[in-house]
Amino acid sequence: MARVKFLCDADRCIECNACVTACKNEHEVPWGINRRRVVTINDGKPGERSVSMACMHCTDAPCAAVCPVSCFYTTADGVVLHSKDLCIGCGYCFYACPFGAPQYPKVGNFGSRGKMDKCTYCAGGPEADSTPAEYAKYGANRLAEGKLPICAEMCSTKSLLAGDGAIIAEIYKERVTKRGYGSGMWGWKTAYSDSPTG
Amino acid sequence: MKVFVAALAFAVVAAVGVAMVLNTIQEPSSVAFSTSGARVGDPGHNLIGPS
Amino acid sequence: MPGSLSILKVAGFKPFFAAFALLFVLAHPAAAQLSFKPTAEAVQEDKLLNALKEGDKISGRVSIPDGNAANLIQPAGRDWRDFHRGTLPWIGGIAILGMIALLAVFLMVRGRIRVHQGLSGKTILRFASFERFTHWLTASCFIILALSGLNVSFGRTLILPLFGADAFAAMSAWAKLAHNYLAFPFMLGLVIMFLIWIKDNIPGKVDLEWIKQGGGILYKGKHPPAKRFNAGQKGIFWIVIIGGTLMSVSGWFLIFPYLPGNVTALQIWTVIHAVIAMLFIAAMLAHIYIGSIGMEGAFDAMGTGEVDVNWAKEHHSLWVEEQQKKAGAPSDRTPHAVPAE
Repeated sequence: MARVKFLCDADRCIECNACVTACKNEHEVPWGINRRRVVTINDGKPGERSVSMACMHCTDAPCAAVCPVSCFYTTADGVVLHSKDLCIGCGYCFYACPFGAPQYPKVGNFGSRGKMDKCTYCAGGPEADSTPAEYAKYGANRLAEGKLPICAEMCSTKSLLAGDGAIIAEIYKERVTKRGYGSGMWGWKTAYSDSPTG
Repeated sequence: MKVFVAALAFAVVAAVGVAMVLNTIQEPSSVAFSTSGARVGDPGHNLIGPS
Repeated sequence: MPGSLSILKVAGFKPFFAAFALLFVLAHPAAAQLSFKPTAEAVQEDKLLNALKEGDKISGRVSIPDGNAANLIQPAGRDWRDFHRGTLPWIGGIAILGMIALLAVFLMVRGRIRVHQGLSGKTILRFASFERFTHWLTASCFIILALSGLNVSFGRTLILPLFGADAFAAMSAWAKLAHNYLAFPFMLGLVIMFLIWIKDNIPGKVDLEWIKQGGGILYKGKHPPAKRFNAGQKGIFWIVIIGGTLMSVSGWFLIFPYLPGNVTALQIWTVIHAVIAMLFIAAMLAHIYIGSIGMEGAFDAMGTGEVDVNWAKEHHSLWVEEQQKKAGAPSDRTPHAVPAE
């Protein structure tokens, strides 16, 4: 079974935010919830790089480890998903996540802070695949249709790669070899400690 | 016994009161994370349920 | 091909063209270096990660108003996870189970602390109803706060396997609401307690002597003098006030996470909240023990407010003397007894 990952090639990212827009459109993500975002390091200075960041679907996910109600699960493909029926909106997953992936519909941590939402790798959630119920809670399920996440599909420079971790690592290494440089596989050591280089 | 029950009742009433106050000042993220330049009509309800 | 530029067929054109183009390149000021390293100053992820100090984050610029979105990687989340799933259960387990074990051993060895002279049947007012109200307000909130808090730390391991994910999550959701909302009456109770009891909880010489004699706790018939509150009770008062304040402040920032605003500060507040909680609960177990089964006659103080005079003479002799002086009568309870202030 393929173990899927994300890889953002920071040397190709032009901060166009097509990935963000695609995700927002595909899942009808409400205003204020940011499943994917583009962060620019050293903005305006030499060596400026942009990285598209969302849930990295870590091996040994810290969010899953700290959740008080154990609402997370990892699919056979390595996608980390969670159940909004079990989520109590406590915020622990946000404290543990190295990438700031968890989002909440409301800002105060009392009563209706709401269910945590995050990037699902376009793989929906525990509801039945590709049903309106799943769409209303978790967004589109492209993986069930055999497609890859929309953010990587829409990337204008093909900097954001999604798919089998070994394959995208190979693609990135080819690029680094061909052009002679690469600023790193952002987040891989932190997220995929078992295979930080693919 | 009376004092104990009174204390419990007060605690519950206070908690309910606090709940009402806090839920009034609770801000949705569509309000908290939009600058003055953004005029958000309908922030959308997919993924987060009706507000 | 007809119409193709015949100039291209002229021998030597290409090298001439190349030289001509090179002139334009060399004419450009920057071409003086003629080397172009696109990645010379590029941020490298591993260099950035290595340069991070404890608790630091790699962050940049985002177009989103949420400041948290600007953080790209916060490695401290990993340490926080290790603490909450590794270290904290040990701290809590040792503190709470250790205290329970200690109290059990104490009960077995020392037994219930009895009133040596026997109960007299006559009582003296120890706590007015407002004082008892405040105590029970704070105490009942504390019980629910402690249980719901322990559920967050241990529920997944101890309770979820017994009830299944759905029931456990539903219960935990209510527990979280109870925790968040009962915190406010708890804080109110703490403030009132501080105001009404600070006067009698200032440490003094009598306390030093009481401590030297171990509070008389280990020996039957040994009763060092004490005022309204003995040194042990003063210790509990200060543990409650200081511990309660730390819990309140840290809890305040957790319930309004936009106040500290950044994830690193929130991580620190959760660590304080969790560690103090475990120690606080252990201390309160001792307090609950001695106030209930641990000592005959003690519960009445908070139960009805009236305590047996012999109990009072044995455990708070100096306070009894003060009260009797005020009332101007010997050990009997008078109809208009001055409340124990």
